[in-house]
Amino acid sequence: MNLTPEDITRFLIAISVMLLAAKVFGELLRLIKQPSVVGEILAGIIIGPTVFGTLAPDMFNTIFANSKSTDIAIDGITNLAVIMLLLVSGLEVNLSLVFKQGKTALYTSVIGMVFPFAIGFLAAYFFPDFLGIKDPSLRLIFALFVGTALSITALPVVARTLMDLNIFKTQIGFLIIASAMFNDLIGWLVFSFILGMLGQSGHGFDISVIITSTLVFIAFMLLIGRKIFNKIIPFIQNKISYPGGILNFIFILGFLGAAFTEYIGIHAIFGAFIVGIAIGDSAHLKEQTREMVQQFVTNIFAPLFFVSIGLRVNFITSFDFVIVLIFVVLAFAGKVIGCGLGAYWGGMKKDEALAIGFGMNSRGAMEIVLGILALQAGLIHERVFVALVIMALVTSLSSAPFMSYFLKKFKNSINVNSLLTPDLVFFTDTDSKESVIEELIRKLSERYKLDYSYIKSEVMKREAIISTGLGNHLALPHAKIKISEVHFAIAISKEGIEFDSLDEKPAKIIILLLTPFDHPELQLRLISEISKKFKDEEAIKELIDSADINNFITNFKSL
Amino acid sequence: MFKKIGLAVTFSPNSKALLKETKLYSDQFAAEVIFIHVGSKNDSIEARLRELISSGGFAPENINIVWGQGDPAKVINKKCIENGVDLLIAGALEKEKVIKYYIGSVARKLMRDPVCSLFILTEPQIEAKPFKKISVQIDYSYESEILVNIAYQLAIKEKASEICLIREYEVPGLAITVYDTGSTDETEKTRKIWHSEEKEKMDVFINELNLTEIKVRGVCLYGKEGWEASNFVKENNSDLLIMSAPSKKLSFIDRIFQHNEEFIFKELPCSILLIK
Repeated sequence: MNLTPEDITRFLIAISVMLLAAKVFGELLRLIKQPSVVGEILAGIIIGPTVFGTLAPDMFNTIFANSKSTDIAIDGITNLAVIMLLLVSGLEVNLSLVFKQGKTALYTSVIGMVFPFAIGFLAAYFFPDFLGIKDPSLRLIFALFVGTALSITALPVVARTLMDLNIFKTQIGFLIIASAMFNDLIGWLVFSFILGMLGQSGHGFDISVIITSTLVFIAFMLLIGRKIFNKIIPFIQNKISYPGGILNFIFILGFLGAAFTEYIGIHAIFGAFIVGIAIGDSAHLKEQTREMVQQFVTNIFAPLFFVSIGLRVNFITSFDFVIVLIFVVLAFAGKVIGCGLGAYWGGMKKDEALAIGFGMNSRGAMEIVLGILALQAGLIHERVFVALVIMALVTSLSSAPFMSYFLKKFKNSINVNSLLTPDLVFFTDTDSKESVIEELIRKLSERYKLDYSYIKSEVMKREAIISTGLGNHLALPHAKIKISEVHFAIAISKEGIEFDSLDEKPAKIIILLLTPFDHPELQLRLISEISKKFKDEEAIKELIDSADINNFITNFKSL
Repeated sequence: MFKKIGLAVTFSPNSKALLKETKLYSDQFAAEVIFIHVGSKNDSIEARLRELISSGGFAPENINIVWGQGDPAKVINKKCIENGVDLLIAGALEKEKVIKYYIGSVARKLMRDPVCSLFILTEPQIEAKPFKKISVQIDYSYESEILVNIAYQLAIKEKASEICLIREYEVPGLAITVYDTGSTDETEKTRKIWHSEEKEKMDVFINELNLTEIKVRGVCLYGKEGWEASNFVKENNSDLLIMSAPSKKLSFIDRIFQHNEEFIFKELPCSILLIK
């Protein structure tokens, strides 16, 4: 079947409309700080049968529902997009990080997968009609699918949320990312087997052959392929035109891996995903290359895929409130409880564990990819697919606010201004370094019931190494001690106290900073933040001249 | 700094150089030395060993040899524990052949599961050369402060020209945030912010230590831990890298999915001092 010139024209117009709508809605959603993928899906719903098709059916049919050959062309592109999405997703899976994060990551990811899988499987197996089973003879596979759909986590949404909350580069951020990566790996493995069980792809191999071939493929790629790619990548990056050479290399291998897994009977996406992991693990692969591949896929192919979802399904006629509600409730219960418990048993505090649970709850694009593949394979009804899309949107949109709420007390959100309390800021008449330090320690010890002698000995031990008179009228005595929270007090001396400062100016603002012994980076960060505040001489003069404590606090916060 | 030094002594080509180096460090630290030999004990071997050890500059009456039989790495570790050794000195090839790397040579086995601090010399010399550039892999922890203090004391003794503190940091998954914006501007900006935060922390860390006799500089590198340090040490021509010993025994799986220490152990960029 060949495409006629008219088919090609309509196909190109359809693609252009899809890309334009995706961009417009994606950007609009970014403006209100929401994932652009949500905008892309909305774009599909608006230009698809749900809205545009209902309001202007003739025009809709002219652009999108014109001929079988253009449908095949669009279908081919969206399939390619899914394979690419999984390839880039695999590129970012860092197995070493999973091993490095140890027990907590393992508990979080394993319990965070097993628990939602179990409740999804049991619900779908025992109440298949409530969850909208399409073919009752596929009850077991349907239950396995629902379990997997509930246990998956969307790495891109998780990464975005961590970035927006400014906790990406923190222990909790690493833990969530590592757990999400592990989740991704197992989730796609299980889902590929489910598709294999449906027998939609491959050449009719026996299930034992499929499982053996898959395991051999995984082992080869992760043990040997990874090492081979690691040797080849520096050669390509250095000797062949950049970035063309490396981009070609990544996509060629990705498509070959996809072709192999499709051939043996598990879906093409899995091959691309495993190849992505094998390539992405290379220490030689430049960060710039990773970002370039992401840009290439997410600017063109991913939007086409997400818009195409809205084109395939009518979200109004396929909307079933009960199924949507069941999926949303099961999704929240499964992930928040599963991952939360895993993190808690792995050693995290209650609030942190809950934050991790909500962080891991975002399903985003990955859920939709999973849903569309199940829909194409005839495993689920459109009503279930719509419920999955809505569940993915609800879980993704709610992830950041919930995480933010539970992470309020998290160490990384601590900054100097947040530590200021009026009763721990005072004017002093003392005239010696030691007595002002003692006064500050006494204030903190009384307020937080700390051991005065222990703190004094630690602060003075630090003071003996080198004076903490930092200059510009600031002195910053500090110590790392066995406490769980940061403590902070300020003494203001109008006369000034000799503190052996480098600039020989007397200290007029003396800040005592006590930080937990097991958070050394926190101390460095806070010292650096305070030092930066004291750069502007004029502002410091104004600060010292503050009429009262409230005025001082206002001036200090504005530094 | 170290009170008792252990040296696994064999009749290998670089034994004499290792003995000379050990003599130098035992004098520097005023430490006692015990010699560990893995093999069966008989008069002839003992006489040859004593002769070899004496050629390293050790007084014959002070030569204390402990004997053991079995897997060399296990025996050496066992004898170190039994004798309270706090620094074990050993020689190692910069790079092992592929199979040997995965199976593990004696030196690599010792590095992967050290029972005390371990000094690995890649090129022991009969005329021992002092270390000129010492690098230290740090993470700002209390253990890092100990590493830097050891490096500082050693640098003073060796009259080194600089100590370089290496801080590596990486945020896996950062590239995937491009997914949402389609642009690398934000990741670039974020990385710059992180880098300047790291530099500020490094400056405070160095100031806090107040090390005045040797030039101390800090470098912050974005990338995989161990891999970046290894590359930097090579480019910087450092002749000694001081790092923390692995917190738990490194297994075969760590060689498959390499991280931190294994990136360094795979191809030693220079001599290594692992502090336990």
